[in-house]
Amino acid sequence: MRRSTGAAVARRAGHLLVAWLVTLAFILPIYIALSSAFKSQRQILDNPLGLPAPFTFDNILTALQRPDQLVQGGLANSILVTALTVGILIPLSSAVSFWVSERGPRLKGVLLAVFALGLMVPPQTVLLPIVQLLQAIGLGHSYPGLILSNIGGGYLSFAVFVYVGFLRTVPREVIEAARVDGANDLRIWWTVVLPLVRPATATVGIFLGLWVWNDFLNPLFILGPLQGQTITTGIYVSLGGYSADYGQLFGIMFLAAIIPIVGYLVTQREFIHGLMSGASK
Amino acid sequence: MRTSTWRRSLGLAPIALVALALYAAFLLYPLIQSLFTSLTDRNPLKAESTFVGLANYLELFTDQRLLASLRFTIVVVVVVTLVSNAIGLLFAMLLNKPTAGFRVMRTLVFIPQVLSGVIVAFIWRSILTQNGLLNTALQNIGLIDAPISWIGTPELATLSICAVVSWMTIAFSTVVYTASLQSVPPELYEAARMDGANVLSRFRNVTFPMIAPGMTISVVLCLITTFKLYDIIAVLTGGGPADSTRSTAFYLVATAFTNNRFGYASAIAILLFVLTAVTAYGLTALLRRREARL
Repeated sequence: MRRSTGAAVARRAGHLLVAWLVTLAFILPIYIALSSAFKSQRQILDNPLGLPAPFTFDNILTALQRPDQLVQGGLANSILVTALTVGILIPLSSAVSFWVSERGPRLKGVLLAVFALGLMVPPQTVLLPIVQLLQAIGLGHSYPGLILSNIGGGYLSFAVFVYVGFLRTVPREVIEAARVDGANDLRIWWTVVLPLVRPATATVGIFLGLWVWNDFLNPLFILGPLQGQTITTGIYVSLGGYSADYGQLFGIMFLAAIIPIVGYLVTQREFIHGLMSGASK
Repeated sequence: MRTSTWRRSLGLAPIALVALALYAAFLLYPLIQSLFTSLTDRNPLKAESTFVGLANYLELFTDQRLLASLRFTIVVVVVVTLVSNAIGLLFAMLLNKPTAGFRVMRTLVFIPQVLSGVIVAFIWRSILTQNGLLNTALQNIGLIDAPISWIGTPELATLSICAVVSWMTIAFSTVVYTASLQSVPPELYEAARMDGANVLSRFRNVTFPMIAPGMTISVVLCLITTFKLYDIIAVLTGGGPADSTRSTAFYLVATAFTNNRFGYASAIAILLFVLTAVTAYGLTALLRRREARL
């Protein structure tokens, strides 16, 4: 009995050790990137795995003092595009999802099949017609154009599937009760549905926020080089050529990566929950 | 009855119609437009475009650069889907313990999926490039004498792309499989253990059938993600060396925006869409059927 407990403890400790080694090896590139942001060029090359000692803020300061304002400008543009896209998509997609849920089974099936297309279409397939359409309506190479095409594209499909899936779990009686009280659907959506689907809104907000923030292809071709850059395309355009200045490179990487990483760590419970509810469907 | 339905959705219906109109304008219309353009020789440098029937589609079969891009795309899709599902499942089994330490590890493993492909590719480029961190480290410990060209030869560059994309998708697969594993009722394992089932047979008869739905999600999403791969290639190799890492999505964008061959690019766009949709639908159907059998 005693020996078997000892063996069990040893096995558990072994499991824990292996798990940590595997995890740390897997995220080693992230450690290298984040720690290198606070090292000198020499330290990065001589000892890429070492801790940043002595600690330096030079890379961060150099990144922030670039004359082209790559980091500040990029972050401001990314925040603008992401906030407006997600801020408009959440009410719009929850409203259309509620409206679709209230249709008869035939129409609902057709509409959902049409929305499913958006999950399947590679963004490159529709990129050229979108760029041409935006130019035709005078929104070519503009932020409103980028935001509008974000709202109408595949992101809407994703949001609709999350909301419609969640609305299936809302008891009919709740909606019917509000209807008996004489509320119209607009009022029911605002006062009953939106508070009820808050977990779905968290999922939609977190995932769309991340995808729009990280998007590369659409800002690169829809905005073009004249309108300034989001942080993602800005990094690509400014650092596209091979450069051996790792210090500055990692300084910029740190400033660009820290917002999604912190956002993920803060919202990770909703994040994983959203992924799980999506994966179980 | 009809009037009352109509009246009660007054107010909500306009918002829904705005959403449907935007979706029609920025997804359905571009898709149909691509289809029409693919039947023409449209080029912005020419004043007029003419209907050419299926000529663009016939060109697809003889365009060696396109065929090479298809070969590369299929290699990456297959390798990434297999690797990220195998390793994702292993990671999930390794990390599926309820204690705080394991929770922290699960949080850390997902981080690659949170970063943009551009940042991921820049991090890996600084590691893999000729005078990068990997070669420097290998030379410092004396394992190699001359730096290895990790992204400079066609074979190694393809391998590097597969590795970097897998690194991102493994993070995703791990979380999906962890969720699936946590949905397996512990009683099932108890029962299997009582029946004298060993680790392997417990995995085959309990774990594997129970995670089938998660596997469907993970496989199909890895597939869709890899078919539309663009940013990692753009930063890590730019499609090189000698176009050996040019995916079909990458070739499509170059044909449209660099070579201005709108008609032919649209044929590639339709090909890429059909390829993605058929593979995704086909695999979903196949895996769902397997789920039902298990």
